[in-house]
Amino acid sequence: MTPAGLELDIIGVPLLAGLLVVATHIPLGREVLRRGIIFIDLAVAQIAGLGVIAALAFGWEMGGWQVQVIAAGSALLGATLIRGFERFWPEIQEALIGITFVLAAAGGLLLLAGNPHGAEHLSDLLAGQLLWVDIDQLIAVAMVYLPVLLIWYWLGPGRLRFYLLFAVTVTVSVQLVGVYLVFSSLIIPAVAIRRLQGIAAIVTGYGLGTVAFAGGLLCSLWFDWPAGPTVVWMLALLGGVLGIVISASQRGVTPE
Amino acid sequence: MFRCILLLGIMVATSATVAAEVSVFACEPEWGALAQEVGGNLVKVKSATTAMQDPHHIQARPSLIAQMRRADLVICTGAGLETGWLPLLLRRANNPRVQPGQPGYLEAASAVSLLDRPQRLDRAEGDIHAQGNPHIQMNPHNLTAVVKLLAQRLSTIDPDNARQYQANLDDFLSRWQLAIDRWEQTAAPLKGMTVVVQHRSWVYLSHWLGLEQVATIEPKPGIPPSSGDLARLVAQMERQPAEAILLAAYQDDRGATWLSEHTGIVNVELPLTVGGSEAAQDLFGLFDDTLNKLLAVAP
Repeated sequence: MTPAGLELDIIGVPLLAGLLVVATHIPLGREVLRRGIIFIDLAVAQIAGLGVIAALAFGWEMGGWQVQVIAAGSALLGATLIRGFERFWPEIQEALIGITFVLAAAGGLLLLAGNPHGAEHLSDLLAGQLLWVDIDQLIAVAMVYLPVLLIWYWLGPGRLRFYLLFAVTVTVSVQLVGVYLVFSSLIIPAVAIRRLQGIAAIVTGYGLGTVAFAGGLLCSLWFDWPAGPTVVWMLALLGGVLGIVISASQRGVTPE
Repeated sequence: MFRCILLLGIMVATSATVAAEVSVFACEPEWGALAQEVGGNLVKVKSATTAMQDPHHIQARPSLIAQMRRADLVICTGAGLETGWLPLLLRRANNPRVQPGQPGYLEAASAVSLLDRPQRLDRAEGDIHAQGNPHIQMNPHNLTAVVKLLAQRLSTIDPDNARQYQANLDDFLSRWQLAIDRWEQTAAPLKGMTVVVQHRSWVYLSHWLGLEQVATIEPKPGIPPSSGDLARLVAQMERQPAEAILLAAYQDDRGATWLSEHTGIVNVELPLTVGGSEAAQDLFGLFDDTLNKLLAVAP
């Protein structure tokens, strides 16, 4: 029994943050998987992160509006670029996305070479800061996510619209939960529920995301592990089990 | 019914003994060790970092928030050493007893006068601390100043045991002063010894013992040396060789090892804080071990 195990409210705000991420990432992730552009998440997340690093290198303070504008601007540019890849070079699209990711990551390393806190910024960018999230940050995040969700469910994902909504969402999520968790919360649920359709798929996806964030944060509290990486593993474990259960149950209903 | 009351009585009694303990959250092991010396069995000490971690930066773990919430006293170096994580942790834990300005919040650096105050403040100069160099623990006279302030704060927070804290403080200080006299005697041959340091963690030690710091491997605080920096260091060492290269147990030793291999100057890994080496298990061991290691390579 760890003493920290008693203090459930430590993970209250991080769990709310996780639910916000789940709300937007489940529908976006399905679309990413449908289009077969898996590494767009890593690329756009890394580009948004590169924007944050560049803004810090210019001397702006973390959390200031300038940082957000630069991060969102670079993510939008990145997303438009990737949309261009899809349009003009569809046959090598995945390769170009991969190259974009590596360039953004290497660019971050170059920009941070002379920064004494460089390693910290990079590790925060990858693993996220889920435990430090406070309620003010949550409100700011919700103010970005809600319009995204409204547009998504009301107008549906258009071509360019998908890329733009994706860029805005990922800019916010990457600062909240880090590149690793952005990728896994988009892709793992989408893969797990790929055999389901319509409302059943969305509801199951939301369920998986919620349980994984809650379980991951509880594990983090219980074993005193960093929150972000723990949730990533919880998502993968639960997603794997769910995928097997769904395919087994479908085989039971309609034997092939 | 009777058993119920008995059980309740035991629960109240145990919770009372738990509440009687003053919970101390130390940012670095040296302050934890100091709190243990003054608090004895009246305090329960947790250290947020170990000697193997860089106190400039730590990962957010749930237990840190939980410990900060329960803390009656937070003792940290201050002077900007923990700016990367302590303000976030204080805000997240939201414990009114230990917010800055409260008796439960103690910055050790406030008890001593800091060296290395920068002439000008510029981010481009690396990880510099506006108030001065925060690595104050390697001069035992600084610890004397800090421990007095610490005993005062413990007595404010837990006035019922003020006498005990005073007695513990007197006992510690008499042993500490004897040790300082002994250290200053044995360390006499170290005066004027020239050293290269990895990070500017040794200013207070150098100041105390009269070591002469001739070069720093990090070109700017917190920034690893480039190949050009290393080449310049080798050239400088060829003109005027130093007698030792000092680095702390937690620091990356690649720069120091490289320099040592290219100049033949011996590398000395010092504990820097309690737990930094086998022998540095308490504050006395910290200085014993540091001096032994320096004397072993002294000219």
